[in-house]
Formats: sequence, C-alpha cells, structure tokens
Amino acid sequence: MDGYEPMQTMEEDDHGPVIKISQADSVRVKFELSNADISFANSLRRVMLAEIPTIAIDLVEIEENSTVLADEFIAHRLGLIPLNAEGVEHLLYSRDCDCDEYCEHCSVKLTLHAKCTTEENMKVFARDLIPSGDRINQVLGSPVISDPDGQGSLLMKLRQGQEIKLECIAKKGIAKEHSKWAPSAAIGFEYDPHNKLHHLDMWYEKDVKSEWPPSEYAHLEEPPREDEPFNYDAVPSHFYFNVETAGNLPPDVIIAEGINVLQKKLAGLIHELSEEGKDGDYDGPRSPEFNGGGDGWGQDQGYTTPGYGAGGNQSAWGGQGGTTPYGQTPYGGSGGWGQ
Amino acid sequence: MAPKSKTQKETPEEVVASEADVAMTEPPTSHQPAVEDEDASMKDGDPFDDEEGQNAEDEDEDEEEEQQRVKLLPGSTPTAASFEFLEEGHTLGNALRYIIMKNPDVEFCAYAIPHPSEAKMNIRIQTYEGTTAVQALEKGLKDLQDLSDVVTEKFKASREEFAARMSA
Repeated sequence: MDGYEPMQTMEEDDHGPVIKISQADSVRVKFELSNADISFANSLRRVMLAEIPTIAIDLVEIEENSTVLADEFIAHRLGLIPLNAEGVEHLLYSRDCDCDEYCEHCSVKLTLHAKCTTEENMKVFARDLIPSGDRINQVLGSPVISDPDGQGSLLMKLRQGQEIKLECIAKKGIAKEHSKWAPSAAIGFEYDPHNKLHHLDMWYEKDVKSEWPPSEYAHLEEPPREDEPFNYDAVPSHFYFNVETAGNLPPDVIIAEGINVLQKKLAGLIHELSEEGKDGDYDGPRSPEFNGGGDGWGQDQGYTTPGYGAGGNQSAWGGQGGTTPYGQTPYGGSGGWGQ
Repeated sequence: MAPKSKTQKETPEEVVASEADVAMTEPPTSHQPAVEDEDASMKDGDPFDDEEGQNAEDEDEDEEEEQQRVKLLPGSTPTAASFEFLEEGHTLGNALRYIIMKNPDVEFCAYAIPHPSEAKMNIRIQTYEGTTAVQALEKGLKDLQDLSDVVTEKFKASREEFAARMSA
C-alpha cells in the first residue's frame, strides 16, 4: 500500500515540490511553486488569504465624538487599520478565553484622544492609537507604520474645537470572518503565462497577441510554437505567487503560517478520526473492524474482521438494515441507501 | 442524535436501535420528514409530545458538548463511503481529493459542496478491495500533511538560499 510517494509524480528523479524565490523584501515575496498540483497550490493561496490569525480592532467605545464623522463610520475605519500581529499565536481567541468579555490574554486595548485647538485642521493618524495595559509583547497590537513620515494611516481630520476620545479593543481573528483580519493586501497567483492550457478565453478585437501584454512570468516558460497542436493531457505545474503583506505579518511568515494553518486543519481532523476510533460511543465514521476488538484506526486487518464478512444487504455499516427506523422512512427499501 | 424523522410513530425497540447505530440510520441532511407523517403525529397528540420534547433536549446537549466535524453519510459500505466535513470548503476539499486519488488503492474520489450557504463539504471515496474508504481518507490526510511538511522545508531552504544570494 505504501509503494508510492504522494508528493511525487510518476516521473523518476523527482523530488517533490520545488520552490524558487525570485524577489523578497519586507513587503512582498515572489516565488514559484513547481511540481505540485493546482489543487494544493490553490489550497495554499486560499489559506493565506483567509485563514491566518491576526489581530484587528473589534470593539470601539466612543466617549467623545464632536467630529463631523459618525461613530459607526469611525469604528469601521478603525477596524481596518492593520495592527502588528507578531506573537499573535500566544493570544487567545476571545471566545476561548475564560474571561467574561475580554482581558489581556485575549485582547489589546488601544486609546485615541485628540482635540484640535488650532485654526488649522488637524490630522489624526494611526500612530495616535496608543496601546495600553499588559500585552504579550511590546509590539503586538501596535498600529502598523510603514510610511517614511512614521504616521501610519490617516484616520480623520478635525476642525478647531472638535474632539475625539475613544477606546478600542483589538481581538484575534481570521479573514474568513472579516477581511480586516487579512494578513495580506493581495496574493498574486498565476500559472500557464502563455495560456497554452486554454484556461482563459482572452477577449480581443483583432489579434490576441498584440492586444494582451505578455505576462510578467512569460519569459520563464516556453512559448507555444505556431503549429503546436493542443495538448489535451497537459496540466498546470508551475505556479507564480506574489504575497504582499498589509504590514501586520512579514511576508515570509504569511507563507509559513499559511502552511501551518493547513497542517493544523489536517492534524485536527486526523485527531478527531483517531479519537473517535478509541471512543466506543460515537456516531461518526469508524473503521468497520472497530467492533472486532482492534484498537481503532489504522490497523491493517483487511477483510479478516467479522464486520467484513457480512456482505450482501447486511454489511457491518448497514446495521440492522430494514429494522432501523430509517429503513421505514418514505425512502423505503429494506437496506436504506446504496443497496 | 435521534433521527430527524422522529415525528414518525416509534416503538421502543426502534428507539433503542437508532441510538445504537445512529450514523447509519440518520437520514441525509437533505432529508425532510414526509408531510403525512407529521400530520399523523400531530393528530396523535400528547403521548408523543413528551417523548419528542425529551429527544430534542438530548440532541441539544450532545451538540453543546462537542460538534463532530466528520460524519459518515448513510449508505456507506467498507470500500465505498461518503463523508461529510463541517466547516470545511474548497481549501481542504480539492487538495484532499487530489491526494486521495493519488493513492493507487483508490478507485474513485470526488468532493462537493452541496450548497454554498451551508459550511459543509462532502467527500466520496471508493477503494479497491484490500483497503477501506476510511483508511484511504486517513491516509489522504496524512499524505497531505507530509506534502505540507515538504513544502515548508523547501520554502525555508529556498528563503535561506535567497538571503545568502542577496548578502553575497
């Protein structure tokens, strides 16, 4: 059963997926993943986009707002401010924390207090959000400031006499719930730059080639010959990623975390399957030989266990067949489904 | 969990049977109890109402304890089974489908998201004799984990190599 390596294709001298980094700095990583299937590449893209935990403002308590902007408008704007997520793995999700609403183990508190006293309009920036209280480390939850002036995002402008005073609670979350928790501003994902596979139907007026600029990655792959017939068996194998961070996590950490999240997802399911195998009283999937006295999953008893011999309309899985209530539903039949 | 078609007339024996072998007897999620049955139980009135109330309570308690994220769908045999994953989608589904199909003992594997507004993902696995669909699923999960391990390693190596090249 183990006569193959899952990560390898059938070709020889094949050592699984290959990663080549073509550009890397503090805001982006461009890399090429090759010798992998599109399904895995897409899983990686999806998981980096939506399932990496970060921290973002989730609750805003407004004490004083005499600006022209509505409270909820400001609250929404604050939610979208990227906060440094270094060490967020040590922060608990508020829903998992023992506290009533939030505490230093599951949140970071930020305060903002600004009043315009001059005739000139005053700009309030993300740097004016001041973290307070105990934190897991000195950077977690601080607003991301990456502009040369060190100001961060512009939050609002105040006229003379206007004042804003509020308290924000930043919590851990993932972008699947709200995109404010997205670690990446964008993830570029491209394959087959010459469109040899015809996955794209490019619109044109007179001539495709002159109307569509060549892809950034076109030089990395052989262009098709004029007379080349369409290859029906071809599958994409080179994927060009461009991971750009919003500033909350370094780009290489986004990639590492992405794979990590995928791993945890798998580990959780494997754990659940094996836990259930040990526990006698569960109603989910179990190996058919479970009742045969094995220690649950993974043992290779094949067809020798009693459950297997049953066959016919009364497999171990089918239970009592027609005697269960289900067998008498309007779905009828004696053995329920699939028999 | 009690079968959803609990509005049917149930004799005590049947109730016991359903508790002992719930996964197999539970109707698919798309199953809706037939309308006639519902009418019948309503006419019957009180004696059933008590029992139903209790069943419903038990159900709630179970769900609160721990939500089961993988479920075997009815009608499965050892070598051909359908699984329902809660809170999973294309991210896991497509990659898992691919890696399970790579297993030479697997005859067929496919995944579907039956409805976009339900966070459920179904996987169908049919294996050749000698292994089971459950084993194939478990192997698929482990293989995908191994694949992720390799990609992590490759990425780290590639990052170090890039850093070395830049500083050189």
